[in-house]
Amino acid sequence: MAAELRLMIPTNESVEPDDRQLVRTIRSGDSDAFEQLVRRKTTKVYSLCYRIIGNAEDAKDISQLVFIKLWENLEKYDPTYAFDTWLYRMVTNVAIDFMRNKQSRDNAVNSNLRLVKTSADAEQGVVVQRKEIENVFNEVSSVLSPKQKTIFVMSEMDDLRSSEIAKILGCRESTVRNHLFNARKLMQQQLKRRFPEYSRLWEERQ
Amino acid sequence: MISCQSFRANVKSREPEVLEHLRKCDACLEFAVASNPDHFFRAIGGEELEPPGGVEAFTAGVMSQVRLRHAEGSVARRFLIPPRRLAAAAAVIVAIAGGTLIWQRHEQPVLVAPAVVAKVVRPLVTKPVVETYQSQNATIVEMPSQGNNDANVVMIFDDSLPADL
Repeated sequence: MAAELRLMIPTNESVEPDDRQLVRTIRSGDSDAFEQLVRRKTTKVYSLCYRIIGNAEDAKDISQLVFIKLWENLEKYDPTYAFDTWLYRMVTNVAIDFMRNKQSRDNAVNSNLRLVKTSADAEQGVVVQRKEIENVFNEVSSVLSPKQKTIFVMSEMDDLRSSEIAKILGCRESTVRNHLFNARKLMQQQLKRRFPEYSRLWEERQ
Repeated sequence: MISCQSFRANVKSREPEVLEHLRKCDACLEFAVASNPDHFFRAIGGEELEPPGGVEAFTAGVMSQVRLRHAEGSVARRFLIPPRRLAAAAAVIVAIAGGTLIWQRHEQPVLVAPAVVAKVVRPLVTKPVVETYQSQNATIVEMPSQGNNDANVVMIFDDSLPADL
């Protein structure tokens, strides 16, 4: 009886509107609702940008650009689709464009400057640390195309399924799997060549 | 979070709880990477990162940009004629100009090139030549000459002679 009564008492906790409700409010001209949406999605958008771009300041700028584009294009959002899918599509488009421009600039400047660890380094014992893996990832993933890297990040770090990635990028699931297969292969090759101390960890076990 | 034992037993899996353990437990990290190379990069995923300066500063930055663009847009909109209005105005102008042209073709008298006013050429009329005549009323005045080379001027006044002689 007590439990039933407790259920009937209205709580003072305000229920947060879901993404679609927020979008409806923003469309009616409420900029405070947009601020709420930005606050809610910042870490999600920034994390994806950071992992694709690999630089905190660039990732911050790109994330801001994503939200400005979001504000300008909110009328185009179709509420029958998940808001996050639409948002992720915007993030990937902006980040891939940025990466393509950056890649062409970098290739022109220093095409041959690559960090290669010596065999002496590889002989020493290695302690796997997350920060170090992050650095290795930034180094090794430079061989991937912007699209391959985006797919790799969404699959391996954001734990999205191939079907979800295909929806975000507007392509076939088989295309996603194909990009993922090639990305993994290239990453393993690079890891073996440039950071043999890590690849040895699993090669020895096999 | 699952225990290290169950994680190690399911290390090949990609289940959310396995990935959660992989990303949080440092003790199992090396074992996981050695057992499943794909876990090497998976280990740095999952976590949501904050932009430099924090979420609040980031949000304030976005909102100031949005307000600035919104203000710029509204100023620009105030000075810009909306495309629909512009199209309607253009259509009205074209209609008026077209109508005027058609009306001019039908209503305006045909313009004739200015007529060249030809000089009326009078037929040449030879003056009457009177070689000899006889008269009783003629008055002859002879001007006195002033030398040998001077022309001899003779004036004849007679009403019977033609006026334009």
